[in-house]
Amino acid sequence: MVFSTILFLFRFLPITLALYYLSPPRLKNATLFLCSLVFYSWGEVRFFPVMVLLILINYCSGLGMEKAGERQGLRRFFLIFSVAGSLSMLVFFKYTNFLITSLNAIFGLSIGLVSGLEVLPLGISFYTFQTMSYSIDVYRREVPTEHNIIDFGAYVVMFPQLIAGPIVKYRDVAARLHVFEGRCSWEQIEDGVCLFTFGLAKKVLLADTISALWLDIIGTYSSSGVQTGAAIGLANASTPLVWLGVIAYSLQLYFDFSGYSLMGIGMGRMLGFDFPQNFNLPYISRSITEFWTRWHMTLSGWFKEYVYIPLGGNRKGKRRQIFNLFVVWCLTGIWHGANWNFILWGLYYFVLLVIEKLFLLPVLKKGRVWPHIYTMFFVVVGWGLFVGNEPGVGLGVLLHKLFIPSGGVSCLYFLRNYAVLLAVSIVCCTPLPLKIWDAIKQNRWMKPLIIGLLLVLSVAYIVGSGNSPFLYFNF
Amino acid sequence: MKSFWNNLKQRPVLLLFFGFLFGFLVLDGLWPNREFSELENKKLAQFPDFSLESLLRNEWTAKYGDYVKEQVAFRDGWIDLQSRSETLLFQKAEVGGQLLGGSDMLFTKAFALKGSEERQLPRNIGAVSQFAARHPGQVTFLLAPSASLIYPEKLPFHAPMLDENAFLDEIFAAVGESARILDLREPFTAHKDEYLYYRTDHHWTSGGAYLAYTAFCAQEGLAPFDPAAHTAVEVPEFYGTSYSSARNWNAVPDVITYYELPSRQTIWDVTGGPQALTALSEDDLYDQDAFATRDKYAAFLHGNPGYSTVTGEGEGSILVIKDSYANCFVPYLTANYARIGVLDLRNYSYSVDALMQAEGYDQVLILYNFQSFKSDGYLYNLNRDPIG
Repeated sequence: MVFSTILFLFRFLPITLALYYLSPPRLKNATLFLCSLVFYSWGEVRFFPVMVLLILINYCSGLGMEKAGERQGLRRFFLIFSVAGSLSMLVFFKYTNFLITSLNAIFGLSIGLVSGLEVLPLGISFYTFQTMSYSIDVYRREVPTEHNIIDFGAYVVMFPQLIAGPIVKYRDVAARLHVFEGRCSWEQIEDGVCLFTFGLAKKVLLADTISALWLDIIGTYSSSGVQTGAAIGLANASTPLVWLGVIAYSLQLYFDFSGYSLMGIGMGRMLGFDFPQNFNLPYISRSITEFWTRWHMTLSGWFKEYVYIPLGGNRKGKRRQIFNLFVVWCLTGIWHGANWNFILWGLYYFVLLVIEKLFLLPVLKKGRVWPHIYTMFFVVVGWGLFVGNEPGVGLGVLLHKLFIPSGGVSCLYFLRNYAVLLAVSIVCCTPLPLKIWDAIKQNRWMKPLIIGLLLVLSVAYIVGSGNSPFLYFNF
Repeated sequence: MKSFWNNLKQRPVLLLFFGFLFGFLVLDGLWPNREFSELENKKLAQFPDFSLESLLRNEWTAKYGDYVKEQVAFRDGWIDLQSRSETLLFQKAEVGGQLLGGSDMLFTKAFALKGSEERQLPRNIGAVSQFAARHPGQVTFLLAPSASLIYPEKLPFHAPMLDENAFLDEIFAAVGESARILDLREPFTAHKDEYLYYRTDHHWTSGGAYLAYTAFCAQEGLAPFDPAAHTAVEVPEFYGTSYSSARNWNAVPDVITYYELPSRQTIWDVTGGPQALTALSEDDLYDQDAFATRDKYAAFLHGNPGYSTVTGEGEGSILVIKDSYANCFVPYLTANYARIGVLDLRNYSYSVDALMQAEGYDQVLILYNFQSFKSDGYLYNLNRDPIG
């Protein structure tokens, strides 16, 4: 189920919230668990057993680690069992066919692809990371074992963060899961409503509308890759138009992903949970290093905590640190998608980050304007690599168009058509809207006015345009 | 309970948010279901029949999602609001795939051929050429240009429309080898200050069709229909298909003009093939009921039946193979022919040659507009079971 649909807004959400609020305190987690299972199974019923199995593996491993007590070997066995369980599901569903095609290409084999893997189980990249964080934390004794399978299940499949994060560690919400009386405060619910509405507006009013610019260039495609809408075609576009398109795509990606995360965080609040922040105005960064502390923060945090630091982080010398970064960025790349261009995209950031670590960072600190330009240039080119494998794009043509000036369809019409939207989008990448909101939310009537306006406009856009799914759906 | 309401009253945001969500949950339940949206000219999804099988195949959930979206309370209002926000708030130059042009004209957005059209167009050119080559000297090919080609100055700022001129040159060059062609770019450009195309619809007006018709008469050496000798009836408040897509708040409705004629149109049941035609209905040329609905253009020739015949006051007969552009063109032909066959290949999948033989046509007019010609997937029916 997608958040930005009438089905979710006028059916699932009100019914779920009503059931949740009306449930007796002890049954709240059970209600949340059941409703989330419905949410999860809605699009693909056949993946229901995947979720159940994943919950069971990690739940039992947690109990096993507790029972093992001081027997370190046994604890390690259960840790490996659970991590292997989570990872093998992720690898199987997401990477099997990629591995097969890569092996076929490298060794000239002709292994057949596994059918039925065209669609990923909803949010598998996110919840497998969450279950791993649970098992690893239990192993490290940083969090007590969860004894109640309903409570544990409610954590794993909790619908607000299921599809698109933020990646919530078990220890972030463990305490809250066991608060039964007075789980939600009025204050918190109101905060949640505001965050949810902002997230919805970001997704529906900005991301989905600005996406049309990029689609005017590359065309729209059905899930099977068949072109359904006419487009100029990348090869026919002029260099300025391609730049405008990639910039529009960068804006779309940010509003899409951060909007979705914000909706998740907002609904988490409504349910009485405090999820970690996932985006903190990434496009105002003054270095790539800073960018990655502001973009998809819970993913970077996860890799840092469970990969980079266990590998030794920066404590074992410069060379080892660079190697550790290399591992983390290969993984980050491949996490974003089962394709070589995502690995390339990860390595691209590895190179940029190493350069900054070695000498560039102090220089960037001194600059005022150019570090912003430098950062956005590389981020936008990065999104070019990121999108390079989609139907209608082609990485070679895209890079050629971006860096070798060429003529073609001019960007003037698109600048004119999307002028207001581009301006609003760029402003929304800066801290300005938040500052304005902080100033006016004190006013008793301005706050509901703004929220109401955004809500009504968002619903109008949802009804009025064909629904576009979340970009990260296959992640 | 009392503190609950007091708390809620303190927080208008919550009252608003939950009132909105629960309000629509309830309202949607009470809202009457519609079969059809006239404004959008579209069938709306209905509550899907539930079965365990369709649930397991994920079909039921998907259909239920569509149903909820399409039957949402105030659907038309939501769509109008979105369109208004696009034009007024975001100042867009296009809405719903329609470019908002000067003089209140809407132009269908076409910046390039779709992938499917790139494959279809050469096939269609080939189909027409092949058909004309089989009937030497009998076929005229009329391809109406799009409004955007005649009125480029009314397009939005630097709109990168596809190069229709180049496509028309290519099509006419290819088809011209075997058929007489009727290229209307010059007469239409010369008369561009007239009301040739609807503002809110993708069709030409009866005036545009008349201009095309006089060009046809000039080429065939016929004396054209005299509008002054007939009663013209005007049907106002026409909001066409382009408006249905754009729903722009400031649309200026069009006026449909038609001429009262004694001619009759017989619609034939073609399911038995061209040798076994049976009459379905006989009526005059205009479906008066359709003029009362939103889709007023469908009144001409009762829409697009597979095969119908029209009686006229001239001599001989002609077969018009066409898309909907011909629907307001054919009435003028009644001045020149005794019998006009009207064939829509989208609803007729039998041999055209056999029909010509059975019904005795020796002259053919193929009439399409560029926008449907580039994508029409039924022109291959021209060469189904050829004779000779």
